[in-house]
Amino acid sequence: MAKITVDGTTIEVPDNSMLLPVLLDRGLQVPHYCYHPKLSIDGSCRMCLVKVEGLPKLTISCNTPVRDGMVVDTQGPEVTKARQGVLELLLVNHPLDCPICDQAGECYLQDYAFEYGKRAARTQEPRRKLLKRVDVGPRVVLDQERCILCRRCVRFCKEITETRELGVFNLGDQSVVDIFPGEPLDNDYSINTADICPVGALLSKDFHHKMRVWFLDETESVCPGCSNGCNVKVGAARGNVYRLLPRRNDEVNDTWMCDEGRLGYRFVNEQRIRTPRVRRGTTIESTSWDEALQQTTTQLSELSRREGAGALAAVVSPHLTNEELFSFGQLIANGLRIQHRDVAVISGKSDDFLIKADKAANARGARDLGLAAAAGEADLAAIRAAIEAGTIRGLFVTGTDLWEVWGEEASKILGRLEFLVVVATNEHPLLDLAHVVLPGMTFAEKNGTFTNHAGRVQRIHRVLDPGTQPSDGEIFLQIGRRLGMELTPGLFDPRQIFGAITRQVPRYAALGWDDLGRQGQATADA
Amino acid sequence: MAAKVVTVQRPARPRAMDTLGPLAILRGLFVTSSHFFRNLFGFIRGKPTIFTVQYPEELQQLAPAFRGMPVLVQMANGKERCVACGLCEWACPVDCITIYPAETEDEIERYPAVFDIDMSRCMFCGLCEEACPEEAIVMSQRVAIATTDWRGSVWHKSDLLMPATELQTRLTHIRRGYERTGVAATPVVRGKA
Repeated sequence: MAKITVDGTTIEVPDNSMLLPVLLDRGLQVPHYCYHPKLSIDGSCRMCLVKVEGLPKLTISCNTPVRDGMVVDTQGPEVTKARQGVLELLLVNHPLDCPICDQAGECYLQDYAFEYGKRAARTQEPRRKLLKRVDVGPRVVLDQERCILCRRCVRFCKEITETRELGVFNLGDQSVVDIFPGEPLDNDYSINTADICPVGALLSKDFHHKMRVWFLDETESVCPGCSNGCNVKVGAARGNVYRLLPRRNDEVNDTWMCDEGRLGYRFVNEQRIRTPRVRRGTTIESTSWDEALQQTTTQLSELSRREGAGALAAVVSPHLTNEELFSFGQLIANGLRIQHRDVAVISGKSDDFLIKADKAANARGARDLGLAAAAGEADLAAIRAAIEAGTIRGLFVTGTDLWEVWGEEASKILGRLEFLVVVATNEHPLLDLAHVVLPGMTFAEKNGTFTNHAGRVQRIHRVLDPGTQPSDGEIFLQIGRRLGMELTPGLFDPRQIFGAITRQVPRYAALGWDDLGRQGQATADA
Repeated sequence: MAAKVVTVQRPARPRAMDTLGPLAILRGLFVTSSHFFRNLFGFIRGKPTIFTVQYPEELQQLAPAFRGMPVLVQMANGKERCVACGLCEWACPVDCITIYPAETEDEIERYPAVFDIDMSRCMFCGLCEEACPEEAIVMSQRVAIATTDWRGSVWHKSDLLMPATELQTRLTHIRRGYERTGVAATPVVRGKA
């Protein structure tokens, strides 16, 4: 440990670290553009200047190693004046685009211009004209005029994805960020360059001109796209989700997330089911919650009584939270007495960085909580064979992933069923075969926890208000009550049920709802 | 406090004429009818001498500082100046403005696909005009917002557009305000009005 004095306060810092991260960790506001905790040091923006006693001139704190006995001044008049000068130079060619720039409101250049900028430009010369709206890739758009050449994006492509699409071309004041001819910025993580861009030079096409950032309510949550469980901030406004942004968690995703996950929020806004439906003859019609739940309960118990408990099966959605899965597990085991159950997980592309093959946030949670078929039990393939053979006559399906897992023959297989209940969030061809459809909720509308592929349990928070619509957990609770079984008193309360999980599932015993915090906790054997 | 005090002489008792009812009535009638006939003859001659505006056929000339309902400035090419930056929406104390931005291929790449003002909520405060960096929303001299259907109180973009030529007095007034207060140098206005 080294002892350094910052603005008159002596602090202890680890040896061999650079000055800027140490200062930022202490909560000091040191302006910077090119420094990023997960990228190499570039030292190109010159904004993080500080005064170090003994050095002949001001030095950039991002590239100055700490030294025992160092005396640092981060906000004196000399430092402020230098930063004002640096900022004025950065702004010399910056277009006055803020009203049409998507970065406005979360732009470092705007923030520091308020702090260190002059009211009017002193330059007489016209501003440099460069290309605006450069189509650098399918998901990212570049505005060269706004760029301040911090090279964060270039370093990202070089160090994190190792694809090297972006580069700085030309020399001196002719320098621009661009792609090589015919080689677009098209890697699986390309939108991260828009995140780390401190100004509005690189922007996500998906979010381009959609919503002002100051209207967004940003809620911390977990990406529902795959089992990696990248930490995200969900930006919502006017009842719609507008974007997902990665949130730093060094145990899971550093500060990155993949494009597929980031753009996979649209199902929250589009083609949602809000009212329950029941089948009347050949058509399926909207109905009341009361009737739909009653139908589900009576039909399933009727089938079970007539054909025996082996005639029922449940297919579990890996998109449900741990609390909902736990309640569902209790409902099918003790209430409906369904013996066969398995999880339907869509398998997809994976890589060795963030993208995992299980395309659902809580596939691991479903396995941990015993909702996947254990060895020797009927798994999804066996359930399928049993439906085809006619021994399984009733199916309780949560989620619609089953359709993709069973592929083209799904409709033929499910058509053989006497009774099919589906809890679904969006319109789906599977619903046309159902006898009862119960509207479910997406990750954006509920509180709970997801367990990622490595066994880390992380909190998700409600982003959108679903009004009076009951959550998936509430549906299971209500069906349980109709069967005379009390899963938990009162409303569905994720905190209470998580408590029950920690008491009953040994792997989760060491966890606590309040200890999960923003970064989650690892389960015992993770 | 140094204020000018004027002492008014009033008779201790009312004059005899004022106390006699019928006479007072006649006197009042005389005042009213003289105004009526002066107005009538003036109107017939085409030169009214009394200040009466024949609303709604005739409209009063209002001062440039008058704040009527907010409108969108329309450029000569028929498009709005507005770039949907959302600052008026943010500044609006009664949240009566709703904007959905969109992208175009024009030189100014952003425009409001939807620009709605709920006039039944608008309180004509003019903060939207003050917040606007493009001089695109200004307070006009329009005041007629009455409607027979409550849905009609939401004005859409097409209803709100008004050619810049008709708003010249107000635009000049805003510029003078900027110059007087020294808020900024003449704001950048893209495109010719």
